[in-house]
Amino acid sequence: MLALVVSHLLVALVLSLVSMRHSRAIYPVAALPPTAALCWALAHADSVLAGSPPVTRMNWSATLGLEFAFRLDTLALVMTLLVSGIGVLVLLYCRWYFGTPSGDAKRSASLLLAFAGVMFGLVLADDLLTLYVFWELTTICSFLLVGQSGVSRESRRASLQALLVTTLGGLVMLLGFIVLGESSGTYRISELAADPPDGAAVAVATGLILVGAFTKSAQVPFHNWLPAAMVAPTPISAYLHAASMVKAGVFLVARLTPVLSEVSYLPVVTAVFGLVTMFLGGWRALREHDLKLLLAYGTVSQLGFLMVLAGSGSYTGELALAGMLLAHGAFKATLFLVIGIVDHQTGTRDIRELSGLGRRMPWVTSVAVLAAMSMAGVPPTIGFVAKEAAFETYLGTGAVAAVEAGIVAGSVLTVAYTARLLFGCFASKRGAVPTEAHPVPAGMLLPPAVTALACLVLGVAYPLTDELAATYAERAAGSSGEYHLGLWHGFNQPLVFSAVTLFAGLTLAAHNARLNLLRSRLPRPLDAQRGYERIMGSLERLAVGVTGRVQVGSLPTYLGIILLAVLVVPGSVLLMRVTPIEQLRWWDNVLQLPLALVILVAAAGVVRATRRITAVLLVGVIGYGIGGMFIVGGGPDLALTQFLVETLTLIAFVLVLRRLPARFTETPSARRVRLPKVLVSLAGGVFVGFAALIFSSARDTPSRVSAEYLEHAEEGTSATNVVNAIIVDFRAFDTVGELSVLAVTATGVASLVLSSRSARRRKHARSDWRQLSATARPTAGEHGERGSA
Amino acid sequence: MSELVAVPVLLPLGAAGLSMAFGRFADVQRWLGLLVLGVIVVDAAVLLYFADVHGPLVLHLGGWAAPVGIALVADRLAALLLLISVIVMFAVLLYSIGQRITDYGRGTASTTFHPIYLVLCSGVSLAYLTGDLFNLFVAFEIMLASSYVLITRRTTANRVRAGMTYTIVSLSSSVLFLTMIGLVYAATGTVNLADLALEMGELPPAPVRALALLMVIVFGVKSAMVPLHFWLPDSYPNAPAPITAIFAALLTKVGIYAMIRTQILVFEREPSWPLMLTLAMATMIVGALGALAQNDLNRMLSFLLVSHIGFMLFGLGVYDIAGLTGVILYIVHHITVQATLFLVSGLITRYTGTVALSRMGGLAKISPLVAVLFAVPALSLAGVPPFSGFVAKLALLRAGVGVGTVWAQVATAVVVLTSLLTLYAVARVWSRAFWGQVREPEGDPDPSDELVVGTGDTSRGMVHATGVLVLSTVLVAVLAGPLAEVSQRAATDLITGEAYRAAVLGGGSGG
Repeated sequence: MLALVVSHLLVALVLSLVSMRHSRAIYPVAALPPTAALCWALAHADSVLAGSPPVTRMNWSATLGLEFAFRLDTLALVMTLLVSGIGVLVLLYCRWYFGTPSGDAKRSASLLLAFAGVMFGLVLADDLLTLYVFWELTTICSFLLVGQSGVSRESRRASLQALLVTTLGGLVMLLGFIVLGESSGTYRISELAADPPDGAAVAVATGLILVGAFTKSAQVPFHNWLPAAMVAPTPISAYLHAASMVKAGVFLVARLTPVLSEVSYLPVVTAVFGLVTMFLGGWRALREHDLKLLLAYGTVSQLGFLMVLAGSGSYTGELALAGMLLAHGAFKATLFLVIGIVDHQTGTRDIRELSGLGRRMPWVTSVAVLAAMSMAGVPPTIGFVAKEAAFETYLGTGAVAAVEAGIVAGSVLTVAYTARLLFGCFASKRGAVPTEAHPVPAGMLLPPAVTALACLVLGVAYPLTDELAATYAERAAGSSGEYHLGLWHGFNQPLVFSAVTLFAGLTLAAHNARLNLLRSRLPRPLDAQRGYERIMGSLERLAVGVTGRVQVGSLPTYLGIILLAVLVVPGSVLLMRVTPIEQLRWWDNVLQLPLALVILVAAAGVVRATRRITAVLLVGVIGYGIGGMFIVGGGPDLALTQFLVETLTLIAFVLVLRRLPARFTETPSARRVRLPKVLVSLAGGVFVGFAALIFSSARDTPSRVSAEYLEHAEEGTSATNVVNAIIVDFRAFDTVGELSVLAVTATGVASLVLSSRSARRRKHARSDWRQLSATARPTAGEHGERGSA
Repeated sequence: MSELVAVPVLLPLGAAGLSMAFGRFADVQRWLGLLVLGVIVVDAAVLLYFADVHGPLVLHLGGWAAPVGIALVADRLAALLLLISVIVMFAVLLYSIGQRITDYGRGTASTTFHPIYLVLCSGVSLAYLTGDLFNLFVAFEIMLASSYVLITRRTTANRVRAGMTYTIVSLSSSVLFLTMIGLVYAATGTVNLADLALEMGELPPAPVRALALLMVIVFGVKSAMVPLHFWLPDSYPNAPAPITAIFAALLTKVGIYAMIRTQILVFEREPSWPLMLTLAMATMIVGALGALAQNDLNRMLSFLLVSHIGFMLFGLGVYDIAGLTGVILYIVHHITVQATLFLVSGLITRYTGTVALSRMGGLAKISPLVAVLFAVPALSLAGVPPFSGFVAKLALLRAGVGVGTVWAQVATAVVVLTSLLTLYAVARVWSRAFWGQVREPEGDPDPSDELVVGTGDTSRGMVHATGVLVLSTVLVAVLAGPLAEVSQRAATDLITGEAYRAAVLGGGSGG
């Protein structure tokens, strides 16, 4: 199975390298891998239905629990029929749709094929993490396919919206997977399903996973990315955003129903969100004039319906789900492809502009009618069969009856927008000029004809469909029931509901104009598009606001914050648990007192100094004072080093100061923060002083290492001065390192000085040349002068 | 055998001198640099193999056994990170040669790029390998001194100001580092890391905690942890692409490495460290928001760098084997990916003549190759499967969920949120720069300054070097199995610490 998935990707890679001229020939080649996948799945159908699913596993990282685990069970088989079957047809259709060789055609071919591959991987996945890997890859494919070449602002915006919304869900879902996997000890779905986990963690995980399912399957309030994604070319919309990818969320819920059977709120949540989505999607579809948008909202509505069924967990519900998955894939793909034909041959897909197409395109129309019958639930199509089963599922009282009512209401809307679609697209309208249309190539009509036929065949040959659905439902629900998919169950409630739905739907469609009036008066509290834009807008403002405040660009502020962090974090720890400072002496030698006084006064003077030279000299005084401390403390060699360094620094400073203004420039704002600066610095000094006291008195035994230094210095290094021994022998490598630092710094300074000197020289040379040319050509010279001025 | 530990430090240092001496022979400098880095790559691989099979390799410099002298230690963690870092340094050197920034200054002064770059390599290696706190300071100094030179190599007023911010903040943090070492030595009487762990046990808790936190701050500045990160986005974007790449990939990671090494080896702590988790969350969020507010590609990448430092802090905050496994994987992933992104940014500016996203467009059409070279590391950074970022992020998420404290769970949610914001940031780059109308490359405002903004002339070397790095990010994902195993073993070593201590203090077998 892995090989099949990878072959999609490899062929896609090769196709992306083929030259653009062959873009028409690319599509038949691109259709090969999905054909192979389809044949492979059908060849294994027997063993799948018999309950011995083919399994493949490949380890990725055992430490992280990452593996590729695939398993072709009944649900995977149903989904493969959709994904690969429709994939092949769409790819063949693309050949006609994209027509002339173009970059778009070529890119779409390899991306569509890659998408077919990852979608195939997604439906086969038997491991939560494997599933996530393919889940996100479908999102990326969708992003690139919706964006196309990204020339239009609208397609860029739509693809970004789809990416963000579905990735948000995907990431939350990943978190849910991890919570589920960590709490139950395995990520393998078949193992989880065999022994459904229980507990609070699983309940939390379910919530997180549902967010992923809802975003991917465009449930309210995440639904709006789907209609926005309709900017993509129609075959792409047909494949990704109607037949396969958007079903991933429903598929996920169906896949995990056996795993999450202990979570009692799952059917409730899916029913609520599903019904709201079903209703709002259908309601909105009645308003659209763009056929594609109408269908997109129809898809949203149908996805809500599927979500309700996916969460049901009952045998009949699962049966209905399997039927409905097949039905929806077939009729929605057909209708999208038909609208693609209409758009392609007439140049418009606006209901208000189309008229009389039924006569001009009889074949296209009959294909569309067949699919529309399935969508509306007219016998003998698969749509009717599946919907009957759905009505049967929710026969009952109380909450169950409420769900039933919701489904019926949603189905009424479905019938209504189906009628609106058919009438709007193909009927001759009073007073409208019949639309001009190019003849439809047979090759272009073939794919939708096949799927339309499937709508019929799956319904008429219902025992076959029932066998497939029943094996799935039995395993998903863990029990079997009496009900079978079929065209005739006698005069019962579901049949009444079907009849009512059709009648009410047609009535609604007839009065749609009046309905629109009503609709325009209703407030729109759930405008998801505005919500999305508002969130993105505030995110932008938040980002700019926070960054503007944090990233002030002032070096003193940065240094102040570092110092404050030191004071607040380790400082507070020290303050809160003060350890007694033992053996505190005020001085060891009386000479330390005047030295300390000199240092303090000089430090205060530096703060008050207004002339640079004064400040530098005072800093020097501090340095010499510290050197004095070393002498008093008995370290003449340290003192010598200190004096040398101070002197060198002073000389360097004086050389630099020649080029700087004599006084510090101090802006009023700088003066205002002077006191805080002084306070922070003071606190920093006090902290270091106290820390030194506390830390040096924290230990009561002398250092073992110092003792060893003293012990080994004489015989080991032949040095009588232990400091020298440390620097040149015990820790000689530190010295090597510091020497390299000096060398590097010297090189850096030299190259800075030299390069700025040569830059100056270049500038002089240029102005010399300019003067020269000025004397030669006075007018040009004037230009040059003005330019440089 | 243990002499091999010194090779990554001493070889480039010696070669730097040689390179300086051959300042007038460009080819010699180039080949010398590549040769030396190539040798170190091999050496690091050998070190990793031996450390993994036989335990830490220790070299006591000067023959003085550990607490007295300086020890270089190549354990699994150090060797692994060293290997990745040197591979990246090699690729970036290749890119720099391709971009010809190495030749700047030839004719005006002897070329400093190659020698300084080698010294930088030596500093980075030393920082990974040293087992001594003061020597770590020296390593940072070597690294930073070379980085000051590299970042101020070209003198426009703007760049010098950026370089100054960088230099002064780094110097201040060095002073703080030194103060910290003084306090550590005053309290414990040793600066050897393995020895410190033992000595700390004998101190009262308050000073120990204060020292731990002081180290967090010192290394927090180096690794751009919020709220100590300000300097990074203000300085990095102003250097030429390969230099920024190397800084972004290595310098901050060395800071993180030092933080992990010191905190875990020296101090004892229970899993789930609330302070670190809080800092991690702040770093992730502030960085990601910063990235969303940028129009300058390099600035945006710098903010993303800050944001992803938070991921590593998160793993450290989880503070158990799973968390540290995640950090190590994340560092390996991030070193390669972040370097690659900055290199690609260099390629992009060559085609567009600008770093402003709002003035780019149609790049996917102009150069599909650059589009692919950008897309792979960008998706990887955003943690999209199956790229390396996903693998590393998964390890972190599993650790965060597994440890089971409320803080860790909140932080895990922030990791997820930051991933989304990262994806938004890179998708916006894609949408603005790679999609849209094709635009003519912009004219060069300052032709003498061909480093930052492009000339429309992209040499093959640049593309190849970037390609090599992109491939290595893919390899990190493909090899996730063995890498995760090594990381887990390294994390276990870190947490127990016994192997390290025994190797450094016990035998003294090396010198």
